[in-house]
Amino acid sequence: MMTNRERALRLLHYQPVDRLPAVHFGYWRELLFEWAEQGKISMEIATKASDGNAYDQELDKLLGWDFCWTCITGARMGLFPAFTPEVLEVLADGTERRRNRDGLIERFKPGVVSIPSEDGYTLHTREDFETLYRPKMQFSADRLPSSNVIEALKNGQKPDRPWGLNVGSVLGDIRSMLSVIGLSYLMYDEDETLLADIVDTYADMQYECVKAMLETGISFDFAHYWEDICYNSGALLSPDIFDELCAKHYKKRNDLCRQWGIDIISLDCDGVTRQLLPTWFDNGVNTMFPIEIGTWGDQFEAARNKFGQGMLGVGGMDKTAFLKDKKAVDAEIERMKRLASLGGFIPCPDHRLMPGSSFELVQYYTEEIKKISL
Amino acid sequence: MSICLEISEKLQKGRSKDVSALVTQALEEGVSPQTILSEGLIAGMSIVGEKFQRNEVFVPEVLVAARAMNAGLAILRPLMASAGIKPLGKAVICTVAGDMHDIGKNLVKMMIEGQGIECIDLGVDVTPEAVVAAVIEHGAQIVCLSALLTTTMSGQKDVVDALVAAGIRDQVKVMVGGAPVNQQYADEIGADCYTLDAASAAQAAKAFFEGN
Repeated sequence: MMTNRERALRLLHYQPVDRLPAVHFGYWRELLFEWAEQGKISMEIATKASDGNAYDQELDKLLGWDFCWTCITGARMGLFPAFTPEVLEVLADGTERRRNRDGLIERFKPGVVSIPSEDGYTLHTREDFETLYRPKMQFSADRLPSSNVIEALKNGQKPDRPWGLNVGSVLGDIRSMLSVIGLSYLMYDEDETLLADIVDTYADMQYECVKAMLETGISFDFAHYWEDICYNSGALLSPDIFDELCAKHYKKRNDLCRQWGIDIISLDCDGVTRQLLPTWFDNGVNTMFPIEIGTWGDQFEAARNKFGQGMLGVGGMDKTAFLKDKKAVDAEIERMKRLASLGGFIPCPDHRLMPGSSFELVQYYTEEIKKISL
Repeated sequence: MSICLEISEKLQKGRSKDVSALVTQALEEGVSPQTILSEGLIAGMSIVGEKFQRNEVFVPEVLVAARAMNAGLAILRPLMASAGIKPLGKAVICTVAGDMHDIGKNLVKMMIEGQGIECIDLGVDVTPEAVVAAVIEHGAQIVCLSALLTTTMSGQKDVVDALVAAGIRDQVKVMVGGAPVNQQYADEIGADCYTLDAASAAQAAKAFFEGN
């Protein structure tokens, strides 16, 4: 019998497997509370489960999942030290304006569970960058996990899953610091070199983080980026500008990974990604994730047809089937079977499972997907 | 090049200060506010919208163009009001209850305003009752409802139901949009119009007011 790690790696190398692994991408917290209220899981799991921790692994067992794709390991890749979160203002209706760890100002309304509203940002000018941000974008050894953790990861027993290295984000993190509006204004208001300077500074720091992690001797099976720079109509910014700003950084980081034997490089980007796929693929990213077909209509087959067998995928299962019925789940299982049979593809729900998802349908999906051998 | 064409071109490039200066210059040269609005600002924003639909420009270019339009409008508004120039129509726009996301909503608002339509922005997390009250207060002919989340999109149906309950459903066109929304959902909840992107929403709103 193969391990989950073997199954995943063999699938992404076009090799047969004894069965498909049941892979997931986590949950909205509200869903876990729903399941707790329904008596399906404990409130402790609902409150404390987080990608890959002990509670999450317990939840995996209850639902039948083998592992979560985004359980990855890496250095502290963001602003370091981060901004200290603070409440800037409380409005009359109780809405709080808060500055988060990235310097982004958001509005939170009591009782509303939602992605917060972006309401401002801290990086407006070159001076802001030089004084507030550049110092937080420098590499230092204390960005790495402690030596105890590194030793444990090198020598200890790892959970049975492919081991992923966090290789950061070239532009997505910067968009998170600035907001979409801030990023847009920065591109047009400041001197034309500022955004490129920010991207280069941040990317150089992340490259050093990746290099240092690889040099620890921990063995990694794949590298994983987070970007989220697309939406329902495509890229948030011009693909040409994106390519000009980012391509060289992907290439440099991905070349480094390949030097260390990592040939699976996945990238998490929500939305319709097709406009940016050429930049990613041409510069070494070869695995689409999570391929949001349910919400956004993103497609794996189109990418495979365009880029060939070098384009791999993890995701693509319409998670909204879990809101419906067994018939809808069966249809997705059939579609996943067909996509997996192409090779180089691992089925996985196309984003975090949302409130309203049926616990029993998820269990049914994991049982059935694990019956498929290729 | 006419000064209105120059305004349009600067707007398309997102040059707010240039647009402000040119609008002021045009007024000094005796060009009417209505002409500056229609042949300068709206013309420029319409081109941006068309390019956005053709993927020739992207969200950042729309945002800076809309900001430039607002810079010009800030100068024209008092003059338009005193000259009795009315907008093409009025639209109420919001993100529905339970949803705090407003990037998409703001883009639609900018593009709709770019068509010369007055947009009453109720913000985010807006109850159906507040939408109904705003429609009545402002005499709006269009309601634009945004939802980012599958968990909040049902709020669009709640607004449609509230408009029916208030007896004003026939007086307004309901437009819906947002990441999880599609034509099928719009049909299911009884909305009048679904559009995929902000530029299409603005075109649909304009077509409604022009009776197309």
